[in-house]
Amino acid sequence: MSAAASSPAETPAARQVDEYGYEPTFYHVKEGEKGPNLTIEDFSLWYGQSRALWNINLGAQKGMVTSLIGPSGCGKSTLLRSLNRMNDLVDGVKTSGQVALDGMPIFGPAVDVIALRKRMGMVFQKPNPFPMSIAENVTYPLKVDGVTDKTMLAEAVENGLKGAALWDEVKDRLKDSALGLSGGQQQRLCIARAIAGNPEVLLMDEPCSALDPIATMKIEDLIDELKGTYTILIVTHNMQQAARCSDNTAFMYLGRLIEYGETDTIFTNPKLKRTEDYVTGRFG
Amino acid sequence: MTDYAAKDVPMTAQARVKTTRNYATDLAARGEPMVFAMGGSLAIGLLMIIGILGLIAWFGFTTFWPQHIVQVTSKDGKVIAGEVFRSESFKPADAQLAAVPAESRAKIEEDLGYAERTLYRVGNYDLYGEDFQWRNEYDVAATEMPADMTFIERQEWGPFVGRITALSLNGVVTQNPTLDAVNAAVSEGQARREAILDLKTDEIGRISTEMEELRLEVKSAALDYGATDQRTLDKTAEVAEKTKALEAQFAEKTTTLQSLQAEDAKYTMTLADIGGQTKEQELSSIVRLYQPNQMSLFEKLGIYFGRWGEFIFSEPREANTEGGVWPAIVGTLAMTVLLSLLVAPFGVMTALYLREYAKQGRLVSFVRICVNNLAGVPSIVYGVFGLGFFCYVLGGTIDQLFFPEKLPSPTFGTGGVLWAALTLALLTVPVVIVATEEALASVPRSMREGSLACGASKWQTIRWIVLPRALPGIMTGLILAMARGAGEVAPLMLVGVVKLAPELPLDLSWPFIHLDRSFMHLGFHIYDVGFQSRNAEAGRPMVFVTTLLLIAIILAMNATAISVRSRLKRRFAGSQF
Ligand SMILES: Nc1ncnc2c1ncn2[C@@H]1O[C@H](COP(=O)(O)OP(=O)(O)OP(=O)(O)O)[C@@H](O)[C@H]1O
Ligand SMILES: [Mg+2]
Repeated sequence: MSAAASSPAETPAARQVDEYGYEPTFYHVKEGEKGPNLTIEDFSLWYGQSRALWNINLGAQKGMVTSLIGPSGCGKSTLLRSLNRMNDLVDGVKTSGQVALDGMPIFGPAVDVIALRKRMGMVFQKPNPFPMSIAENVTYPLKVDGVTDKTMLAEAVENGLKGAALWDEVKDRLKDSALGLSGGQQQRLCIARAIAGNPEVLLMDEPCSALDPIATMKIEDLIDELKGTYTILIVTHNMQQAARCSDNTAFMYLGRLIEYGETDTIFTNPKLKRTEDYVTGRFG
Repeated sequence: MTDYAAKDVPMTAQARVKTTRNYATDLAARGEPMVFAMGGSLAIGLLMIIGILGLIAWFGFTTFWPQHIVQVTSKDGKVIAGEVFRSESFKPADAQLAAVPAESRAKIEEDLGYAERTLYRVGNYDLYGEDFQWRNEYDVAATEMPADMTFIERQEWGPFVGRITALSLNGVVTQNPTLDAVNAAVSEGQARREAILDLKTDEIGRISTEMEELRLEVKSAALDYGATDQRTLDKTAEVAEKTKALEAQFAEKTTTLQSLQAEDAKYTMTLADIGGQTKEQELSSIVRLYQPNQMSLFEKLGIYFGRWGEFIFSEPREANTEGGVWPAIVGTLAMTVLLSLLVAPFGVMTALYLREYAKQGRLVSFVRICVNNLAGVPSIVYGVFGLGFFCYVLGGTIDQLFFPEKLPSPTFGTGGVLWAALTLALLTVPVVIVATEEALASVPRSMREGSLACGASKWQTIRWIVLPRALPGIMTGLILAMARGAGEVAPLMLVGVVKLAPELPLDLSWPFIHLDRSFMHLGFHIYDVGFQSRNAEAGRPMVFVTTLLLIAIILAMNATAISVRSRLKRRFAGSQF
């Protein structure tokens, strides 16, 4: 077990830089009562020859919200997609290191990927509703599990859509094609779909990038509501959003985890210069 | 600015000045230079299509229109009567010219030695031994259109052109009967003919089929138990008894048939051609008759549509040059539907494996190239393969296993609608595979990812997300395959299409679709009528009509498939914003 989950707050004393000029990750994590749920240990990833992630160590606390920030192309999506092994689908991806969900490793030949994915809901950067009706979209995870009970499905539709702040807009057209929704509505539908599967971990890749402020607020409310029960990882380019709704924030840069710790500290008193430059908007 | 942004060196003012461009517009960039060629190609393509369709539609739609009967008197006194079939210019030989009167010759010389001639459809093949006669324009003394000239379509010998001089109904003779009286007698005759046909095919045919079945029962018992076994002997005795009863029935029916035919022969009419030759014609052998020179437009329309109805819904006669093409329509449709049912699952599953499951690599690329090349193999090659493999190997094996009592006459071991459909399925499967692969590839990756992220397995994702989304593209492939299959003739000649099929592949007797039967096909029918018949000239109009019908059927099938596809597509259309 590395420093990822348990390291106490450090001070930015004289720190060794590696051969590329990067210091080790600086940790000041706010720990939850239940400890880390998802632990990433020394994780690296290559797309063919090019390396996208460099020795990431990070523990997402159980029942808390962890946000991932960093400039475009720094590997946030890559990291998130590694957690439910979505990157398996990309040709030529190699990984090293390990990720554990509740202490159970997720990389390895014996892992049941389907069971793993059922424990993790995912909302993608671009909305990807299925070419079916709105209701069918929400109940897709249940359909996958073979649920056919009408009342259960109807309940899941209502809960999911209410949770994603979409219910009022679509309750009269649940049988219509989901592709007829606006981009923002489609994204909320995808959120509804992700929570309808009742996962333990929710992976959200910029869920609000296509939403208006009111819908964004609703999603943030939803995140507030869900935290406690779900462990949430959220990628965002919106600093205010990260500041508002996350407990811990991880700042990534060019495939490295630079600083990981309490959100307030990251935004008000970042320990490293790179972090400070990014959160104050001096580059990025 | 921090060090990690320092790589962006700002462009200096000097660097910017150096890149001067020529701001004058290049000649090639003015207007659209190539649009002329592109538009031209499109126009040529359109012209060709319109030309083909126009030609076929013109000949196809005009063939059944009742023409006037023209009576042509030549200068040497010979008279003929017939429909104008076509006219052309020709160059008379010098010897011919010498015999032409001076003033006509002057006119021909004025026209650079060309003269006009017209082909008349004179009919009366039984009297003249030919259906058509040429008349040179310079030989013609007079043409007229006598009102009482009658065009009589018969079951045999083609049409008769002439007059009805007498009607003889069971010994009662009426000279110069009215058209109404003739028509009434003709419809009675047609009813008699129907009755005779019913007796022949339904009752006598049924008895022969039953006798044949009994014979096969004995044979299969002998095959099962051995020729000397008691059970076989019992069977033989039983069958002999039944056969005897059937034979008695058969004899009885045959006598009835003969008496009906004898009765029928008493109802005749006397026809006279323009030259006065007469012919005694049984009334039951008349299909229809009319006097085109005194018909109103409305009556002509009646004849026109009556002929179309006959063409579509009745059986061919006169070696396919007359009558209808109903068996060919049924055969074409049955074969095409069967082909689609076979090719769709086969092609889609192959493409699914190639695109979704097989590891993309050199081997898969090679397979893909092979599949694409299969589409270019001449279709007759498939016919040869179908005959050799499906008919002889597969069909022969089936016959030995399931129909040994019928051997040596083959059941599946010869051409049939199933083998034809399989052969064409093989021929068209590359089209379906290629189209399906493209459709699968065009399903956005994000949708698959969304499904997999919900915990769906690969097959669930394919079944619920990928296939529905790819369905319109798959349909396109099927439509192309169907169109190609329905229009293919060459391989069919080897694996099951015949000139005249005794029975339809679809009928009301169990099991309704008879996969082993040979069948008729519109494409082959065209070839047969146009090039294999006794009288190519007489068959030619039918070629166009049949072509028109084939095109219409393919168009209708495609339109159905396309409308299904567009309904599917609409389900997936939607805003992306
Ligand atoms: N399928 C892929 N094949 C090759 N390289 C990829 C692939 N996907 C991502 N990359 C590379 O990996 C790096 C990280 O990409 P990633 O999508 O994780 O960035 P991100 O942090 O999510 O950026 P953004 O904020 O713009 O979404 C980038 O340099 C990108 O070019
Ligand atoms: Mg991203």
